Amino acid sequence: MKFVLIRTIINGRQYDLEVTGTKRGCEIGECGACTVLMNGQAVNSCLVLAPQIDNQEILTIEGLADGEKLHPLQESFLDHDAVHCGFCTPGMLMSAKDLLDHTPDPSEHEIRTAISGNLCRCSGYQQIVDAIKEVEGVSREQ
Amino acid sequence: MKPFEYYSPQSVAEACALLAQLGSGAKILAGGTDVLVELRKSADDVASSIIDITGISSLKGIEESSNTIVIKPLTTHTEILRSALVGTYAPLLKTAVAGIGSPQIRNRGTIGGNIMNAAACADTVPPLIALGARIRLQSSTGDRTVALSEFFTKPYITVAQRGELLVEIRFPKLPSDARSSFMKLGRRNALSISRLSVAAILTRDQSGVLTDARIVPGASLPTWHRVSEAENLLIGHKPTRELFVEAGKKVSDIMISFTGRRWSTEYKEPVIAVLVRRALEECH
Ligand SMILES: Cc1cc2nc3c(=O)[nH]c(=O)nc-3n(C[C@H](O)[C@H](O)[C@H](O)COP(=O)(O)OP(=O)(O)OC[C@H]3O[C@@H](n4cnc5c(N)ncnc54)[C@H](O)[C@@H]3O)c2cc1C
Ligand code: FES
Ligand code: FES
Repeated sequence: MKFVLIRTIINGRQYDLEVTGTKRGCEIGECGACTVLMNGQAVNSCLVLAPQIDNQEILTIEGLADGEKLHPLQESFLDHDAVHCGFCTPGMLMSAKDLLDHTPDPSEHEIRTAISGNLCRCSGYQQIVDAIKEVEGVSREQ
Repeated sequence: MKPFEYYSPQSVAEACALLAQLGSGAKILAGGTDVLVELRKSADDVASSIIDITGISSLKGIEESSNTIVIKPLTTHTEILRSALVGTYAPLLKTAVAGIGSPQIRNRGTIGGNIMNAAACADTVPPLIALGARIRLQSSTGDRTVALSEFFTKPYITVAQRGELLVEIRFPKLPSDARSSFMKLGRRNALSISRLSVAAILTRDQSGVLTDARIVPGASLPTWHRVSEAENLLIGHKPTRELFVEAGKKVSDIMISFTGRRWSTEYKEPVIAVLVRRALEECH
């Protein structure tokens, strides 16, 4: 196989598919704004080349809600004022989803570790941590 | 990012043939957490072709034989973190990978990439050298095994030849009575590159006397190696705080003998001594 290419997934997605939920920040793996799930694991999409996702399962923020119905994590982020400017939010939500998919009842430490690769310049993180903690409360009650 | 050709070989033989054929413009891509950052710098000397080895399934996984653990180079930091074999037979390596980057970086970054990138701050290297790891390199003309302690010549430079692929990392299992630790000092908890680090292994006999001691500082010496001068202070003695303090001072002296005194020495000298002492105390 031989291609010529100049794009990582994130560039390709934005310009070719016109889906803009996934954010482009530092492009060097440090901010987490571009986080998507690749085969269920959070990855920085800025560090994945487009041909590398051939035959892989990719979930972006666009796939989190069920049509008009928000995902419980999204509801919880809204309930806890965890969204300020919102730039970090898509990435935060994908990291949180990876965590909850693998660790249904995380400790605060596990939550903080799970979002340690996602920078937020507005919230100070506490509301985000609370939102992830509480969504667990919701699902436990059900 | 400049245009480049992209290849995805499915076997080691195919990858080696491509490396030989494409020559100096070729760059191996594993998890990409170093390579992609480099490619974005769009300097003139970036790769003209990328050989993505992530499709080679024989380069993935962790195996054991009676006395040995074998880690294949494409094993990610997350996989190492979750491995029961590593947790039992090389717990200091588990501690080291737990502190690499962020979950996203650990999900993509591989142990092979960490070794081959050869940055002074590579966190898997001090534990692997303390464990006595050897690595196997393969090329289109043959293969060879090298002790990891002899692999690095200076930061970012190794004895690997152009065209050689890292195919295996192997080390003896730690005996059940050995205790080990890894400590890293960065500027913050996550996403921080090691400023200084230490890997340590201690073994005591029945009476509590130290029979084995291994100390490998990271990011402080020109290349990684065990500091036998400090290890010898410990062997044959019962561990005490004073002894650990002395070993820490020795490591710090050795560091200065290599680097000379410079602007950062005032900070590093006491800090590396304390880091070594703490790493040794962790081996309980
Ligand atoms: C935000 C961020 C934080 C980071 N934090 C840390 C940290 O805390 N500690 C740390 O140690 N590192 C850190 N790193 C560096 C990096 O993530 C690690 O070194 C990682 O292990 C590299 O593995 P990779 O598979 O991504 O390598 P790649 O980027 O794919 O490759 C790295 C180098 O190794 C070569 N290579 C890869 N595999 C092979 C092979 N099998 N044979 C021959 N050559 C090969 C490549 O050609 C390249 O030169 C960080 C990086 C980023 C972006
Ligand atoms: S844009 Fe990918 S981590 Fe910042
Ligand atoms: S809400 Fe603004 S960066 Fe997080």
